[in-house]
Amino acid sequence: MTESDKKINITENDKPKIGIYVCHCGVNIGGVVSVPDLVEYAKTLTDVTVGHDYKFLCSDVGQKMIKEDIEAGLINRVVVAACSPRMHEPTFRITCKEAGLNQFLFEMANIREHSTWVHMKEPEGAYEVAKDLIRLAIAKARELEPLTVQKVNVEPTSLIIGAGITGMNAALNLSSAGYKVYLVERSATIGGHMAQLDKTFPTMDCSSCILTPKMSEISRDKNIELLTYSEVTEVTGYVGNFEVTIKKKPHYVDQEKCNGCGICVDPCPITVANEFDLGLSTRKAIYVPFPQAIPSQYTIDMDSCVECGICARETVCEPGAIKYDDKPEYFTVKVGTIIVATGYDEYDPSELKQYGYGKYPNVITGLQMERLLSSFGPVLGKPVKPSDLKDPHSIAFLQCVGSRNFREGGNKYCSRVCCMYATKQARQYKEKHPDADIYIFYMDIRAFGKGYEEFYESAGRDYGINYVRGRIAEVRENPLNHNIIIRAEDTLLQQPIELEVELFILSTGIEPRADSDSITNLLRIQKSADGFFLEAHPKLRPVDTLTEGIFIAGVSQGPKDIPDSVAQAKGAAASAIALMAKGEVEIEPFFAVVHSDRCSGCGMCIENCAYGALELVDDRRFGTIASINKALCKGCGACSGNCRCSAIDIIGFSSEQLYSMITKRE
Amino acid sequence: MSKNSKWKYGFFLGCVAPNRYPMIEASIRAVFDHLGAEILELEGASCCPAPGVFRAFHIPTWLVIAARNLTIAEELGIDVVTGCNGCYGTLRDAWVELNHEPELKKMINEHLAKIGREFKGSIEPKHVVQVLYQDLGIEYLRGFVKHKFKDLKVAVHYGCHIIKPSDKRPWGGEYEDPTFLDEIIEITGAKSINYKDKFQCCGAGGAVRTAVKEISADFSREKLENIRDAGADIIIDCCPFCHLQLDLGQMEANNFYKDIIGEPYKIPVIYVTQLLGLAFGIDPNLLGLMKNHDLQQVPPFISLEPFLEKVKNQLT
Amino acid sequence: MSDNVEKYIKRKVYKSTNSRIAQKFVDAGLEKLRACINCGTCTGGCPSGRRTAYRTRSVLRRALTGDESVLEDIGIWFCSTCYTCYERCPRGIPVTDMIIKLRNIAVEEGHILDPHFVLANKVFYVTGHGVPANGEGNQKWRDLRESYGLPPLPPTVHMHPEAVKECQELMKSVGFRDLLDKIEKQKEKEKLEAEKAEANKIEDKKKEKEKK
Repeated sequence: MTESDKKINITENDKPKIGIYVCHCGVNIGGVVSVPDLVEYAKTLTDVTVGHDYKFLCSDVGQKMIKEDIEAGLINRVVVAACSPRMHEPTFRITCKEAGLNQFLFEMANIREHSTWVHMKEPEGAYEVAKDLIRLAIAKARELEPLTVQKVNVEPTSLIIGAGITGMNAALNLSSAGYKVYLVERSATIGGHMAQLDKTFPTMDCSSCILTPKMSEISRDKNIELLTYSEVTEVTGYVGNFEVTIKKKPHYVDQEKCNGCGICVDPCPITVANEFDLGLSTRKAIYVPFPQAIPSQYTIDMDSCVECGICARETVCEPGAIKYDDKPEYFTVKVGTIIVATGYDEYDPSELKQYGYGKYPNVITGLQMERLLSSFGPVLGKPVKPSDLKDPHSIAFLQCVGSRNFREGGNKYCSRVCCMYATKQARQYKEKHPDADIYIFYMDIRAFGKGYEEFYESAGRDYGINYVRGRIAEVRENPLNHNIIIRAEDTLLQQPIELEVELFILSTGIEPRADSDSITNLLRIQKSADGFFLEAHPKLRPVDTLTEGIFIAGVSQGPKDIPDSVAQAKGAAASAIALMAKGEVEIEPFFAVVHSDRCSGCGMCIENCAYGALELVDDRRFGTIASINKALCKGCGACSGNCRCSAIDIIGFSSEQLYSMITKRE
Repeated sequence: MSKNSKWKYGFFLGCVAPNRYPMIEASIRAVFDHLGAEILELEGASCCPAPGVFRAFHIPTWLVIAARNLTIAEELGIDVVTGCNGCYGTLRDAWVELNHEPELKKMINEHLAKIGREFKGSIEPKHVVQVLYQDLGIEYLRGFVKHKFKDLKVAVHYGCHIIKPSDKRPWGGEYEDPTFLDEIIEITGAKSINYKDKFQCCGAGGAVRTAVKEISADFSREKLENIRDAGADIIIDCCPFCHLQLDLGQMEANNFYKDIIGEPYKIPVIYVTQLLGLAFGIDPNLLGLMKNHDLQQVPPFISLEPFLEKVKNQLT
Repeated sequence: MSDNVEKYIKRKVYKSTNSRIAQKFVDAGLEKLRACINCGTCTGGCPSGRRTAYRTRSVLRRALTGDESVLEDIGIWFCSTCYTCYERCPRGIPVTDMIIKLRNIAVEEGHILDPHFVLANKVFYVTGHGVPANGEGNQKWRDLRESYGLPPLPPTVHMHPEAVKECQELMKSVGFRDLLDKIEKQKEKEKLEAEKAEANKIEDKKKEKEKK
């Protein structure tokens, strides 16, 4: 029997017959309140014809109970009292649908998150709250009407914001599945932070060796349109049909004409700190970020350039690529899905004045050490002390700089990569300088990844790296030689110690991008308390956002290492592909409707609509009234709540339905 | 100098300034008068009480006596100014705690009611340096400078309780490396030099000095060593108890630790308003800089002569 | 077993909790210490710990576990309350305030150093100043004040006997006087016992001599 064969037609004249199903959710609900008593209570309410409880209603057995009651004609409305609708509303809608009942004749009462979890210690109160929530759901269920889902086509194209290791991997995955990708990167090259790293833990693969082939793969891929030095400025539309405006920033060098010869660099008279080397080296005003950058064309940094004209001379730039009057370009693309992979910022430790960063030359950050260790870095992979450019004989690392710090300005979370990168850097230095004394000051060593514990164990056993359990309290500089004097407690010995080292490395943590608000505003996605982008469900929907069609991956969602970032990239790509492969997507019919007879045409709703879904139109019968573009409406209710004439309702959340919830007392 | 009603404070003296180092009290009075900031007496004020000892013995005692001291200024309706970091610590911490915890305030007021007083929280306790820096302002002070010191290297000692706990202090949360006192000192032309562990405690507070003088003196020994290494001509401080510890403490360190310090310390210790007063052209006698040699066994224990000799020619 | 070996054997496993004291710590709000991750930032930057046996973290950890011996540890009186640890604790524990509370409990249990007790009982309670200038022994300080053009006594409690009374009234009201009396009695008792023990020792020695 097919679904349509079973279809139950509900007419306005049908009396509501409500089935109430209360879930124990193991002990989550059943351990706090008496579920059978809740069922008995619910059965006393008007129009309730059937009531059952079950250990796990979301299971096959539980769903079958509901189906059988529908099919037997006992009920025509379903209320499930269980967990959050975010968790299982889709499950039970399908249950109804499969039994032939319109899926919108279903209502959920969240008695777990809203009652038994939060009032775990007051079971009597929790029971009263659960009763109330069930009563409300039943009141609304009585007013439910069958609705039809909307189907829209999905544009088989994806936008990826950020071309670090995460964005690049997602792009390649989408491309290999045959989808077109716009890969937008705001800096002048792709590669992200990984391009700055020397080797990667725990395998000691050379970062460039695994990254640069991927970079060139991207540049060759026909399905990937690479948009470097570009930013997304506007996003409109909805799942399957996003309109994205992209700004291509001016390079001031014609990218078509530039052949990347680099002759312009030497004559350029302007020298500034090189951000790619975190200030450890300099670059000219005309530059490529690093030798293997993709694309390899040059860019002029107009904040520094004085337009002296030297690079524009024919003797310098033979192709005549210099273009001081270059302008930004804007263009719009249509995509079906969006993946956000904007990465992270390194924590800036200058606020932690007790560690002397920015004050003492021989205090550097972990990422700076990475550049010092890099074979194409400022010292070609032979780290030196900034004070005198000599090899340090002793080095101390301090872990958790900016992380696991509950004070203002610190980050509470663990950054997850610092234990391993410090261990890796220490080992790398030890390989070249076996006599060096290396200390790692830590609170806990977190070596949770595959092969990490073994890597850490070997650092102590084979490399003789000293791990000292204690967080450094303060450092001072020895004015005679710029050495760093460290003060800490060796907590395992309960002994304060003072130690002088030649180089002090702050294992700085990971932070959300300082400007990540611009992304949340553009895409209307959320951030969690730590400032990273919020996933739809921490366990089951880790790469989804609450905005359908938009996915997140990599460190922009939370600190993670390269393997986890790449895994998420592939997850986000697969989710995007799953959505686009169907070709169409169902949209919930919860949009606004205007009661033309009540609308006064004041236009307040237009101001309140964040999605541009409303406009004023001339109606022959009612004059000037508001009109809704269903394709743009998100059903947020901002128009309805603010309408002075109560002329706008949200389908599925109509005033009648909501009033019945709050007024119906039994 | 005519009185300027804009700035009016109740002068909280504390113990060490009036009863052991009265030159500090004299210099504050002279400088405030010179700057047109009016000082009124807080008649019948007691020990603040000292945060390291009495607070450590019995918090309710500390709080109720501190509250009583504040009520004296509340009766006058003016903010309190104190020249002592310890008094500042007590009055300010008590003020913040009582204003933030209604239950505590209620409890303390029940006790105060027995002597007919009530803590309202209507006035703010301030430090002399806070008044100079925030109420009067550096630019205002600069206008009074008559003599500029040349080649005078100063080791500035802030002490602890003027800065910390930073959440109860008016310096915007800065505690590792504030500069307000250096800025004030440098308007006189003196150079505030950097020295190791500049913000380290002198060792007097927290009941340590009363408990074991040798430990206290070892704090100051380390501090003095760093100051001497940096080549300072004088020490400038803003707390009478630090002042005592760095002045008398030099004698103690010279005595207890003569084997490790080599040449005995003899670095003149000057209170911030004493130096400012000199730069403003105030008579050194009014600033307590001239020692009465008839009195024995009284401070300053470290002679100020080398300093006065050095700046003599610059004061004309 | 020879005496030499005996002293190396320690069969007692560390056990410390005194529930009455542990409850006192809880009542004083020391449970904030449960957020401590034992990183040692407090001890590592402590200017006192650099020269004394005072170990901030260890002292507080002992308090948290209800170890009453911490109250007799003279180390807790070597904190100069500089608040460096308070400012830097990554868990935001008001470390210095915790030490002060610990000292309060120690005093309540009668563990107060003699000079501190004299300062509270004979100086502050009597005069209202921690460092007074009145009374016979302090003439030179009054002379010193006058030498700087100040009146011999400041306009504080020194000039206002009724203010001293007010302070004493408050100290009685919050229970400080009773606490001081309790400690005084305890100290006297301890002193008597010590004297007695000393006398007994001398007596014993005498007897021994006589025997010989």
